[in-house]
Amino acid sequence: MIWKPSPLAILGLAMMSAPIIAHAKIYISVEQAQKLLFPNKALTKNPIIITDDLQDKMRAASSIRYPFQGERIWKAADGSWLVIDEVIGKHEMISYAVALNPSGSILGIEILEYVESYGYEVAEPQWRKQFVGKTVNDPIKLNQDIQNIGGATLSCKHLTDGVKRITVLYELALKHPPSSISPNQLSKAK
Amino acid sequence: MIRCKPLLGTFVEISIKQDDGQAAIDNAFSVIQKVHDLMGFHNPQSELSRINERAHLEAVEIHPWTAQVIKIAKEIHLASNGLFDCGIGHRLVEAGLLPRHITYTNHELGGIADIHFLAPDLIKSARPVCLDLGGIAKGYAVDMAVRVLLSEGIASGFVNAGGDLRVFGDTFFPIQIRNPESPEELIEIGSLENGAIATSGLYFAKRDRQQSHIINPLTQNPSEIHAEVLGSYSILAKECVYADALTKVLALSNNENHPCFERFSAQALRITA
Repeated sequence: MIWKPSPLAILGLAMMSAPIIAHAKIYISVEQAQKLLFPNKALTKNPIIITDDLQDKMRAASSIRYPFQGERIWKAADGSWLVIDEVIGKHEMISYAVALNPSGSILGIEILEYVESYGYEVAEPQWRKQFVGKTVNDPIKLNQDIQNIGGATLSCKHLTDGVKRITVLYELALKHPPSSISPNQLSKAK
Repeated sequence: MIRCKPLLGTFVEISIKQDDGQAAIDNAFSVIQKVHDLMGFHNPQSELSRINERAHLEAVEIHPWTAQVIKIAKEIHLASNGLFDCGIGHRLVEAGLLPRHITYTNHELGGIADIHFLAPDLIKSARPVCLDLGGIAKGYAVDMAVRVLLSEGIASGFVNAGGDLRVFGDTFFPIQIRNPESPEELIEIGSLENGAIATSGLYFAKRDRQQSHIINPLTQNPSEIHAEVLGSYSILAKECVYADALTKVLALSNNENHPCFERFSAQALRITA
């Protein structure tokens, strides 16, 4: 181990150096998440209309108030699912991908972006929008030098709630898709 | 390439310098998941839960990794004169910080010192215990992940489990620490090559209006159980398991020169608030 303390820190002046406020970390893109969670599997976009009733049930199960958007859902030929969602807390916005196998158990979770803020902005959709779907190459103000952040353990409880609402989504909407009955099948059923 | 997954109750980042090596990162995340499954307090089926439920009644066979964490926990307990003790799970349960799986009543609960090894992978407890490995297992998981990355030929990178981090390879990594007075501000405290740094502090607990998770195991006095510390307490060490556990000794002793640190070749670093 080799440790080189910053000269400012030695002098106790670290507090006087310009503080870095709020940071965004972009880990992977939607395409990378698809490849990581479903290597060598083709995914088809499968958006779902989220009814008020479903929205209410997802909210009740997860205590997340921010409505779920049903556009970022994909299905694999074997019946597996990929869902992308965001959780917005008081101090952060996290977008994440959840992979579910055909029977609804979680295959994997990847964090796409973690944006931290201590300001009011996190509640403003306009502010959040600038980060959604961005990559590290996009010209938003991301400090690429900030990598190794030490500090008290940051809880991932909000995200756990988010994942919970995805499992509710599976139970109520993905498991037996209501739109899967075509008129053709209906007539056969008679 | 940097990836992040929710594990061990926090966000775990793994970063490597090269663009290939996806499989190595996957395997590194898998060992962290394994540590999570073995030593998690939240999961009533984990090996840790089984120890808390059964170890005072019968010998419990445990995974070599759990055995190693308990061995190191005992070692640090001894060297810190009891300041580091994993037998504080019930305090965190009472404070609502951990779930209640077992109701402990009329039990004189013991600590990590009550755990005895009958064989390398077989333990028994002299008294009922409520162990929580939350103060050491994250560091251990980081070490195991680094070991996997190295064995898969990854030259350089880092693993960061929500603030318990280790860097490896022949590169200096700048290290930022959160300012305990306003955690959104980062202070660059130095750069590290081939080493670990872990930090304890209560600024997130205060922000989220939770009771202190830094427990003083040496007191029975209700007003002293939850230590109220203001600053940020970091430990630099070769391995993250020691860095993680020793932050509690630093926070509770408030002594950067506690003999315990020299014993484990660690270095203490306090940021006062």
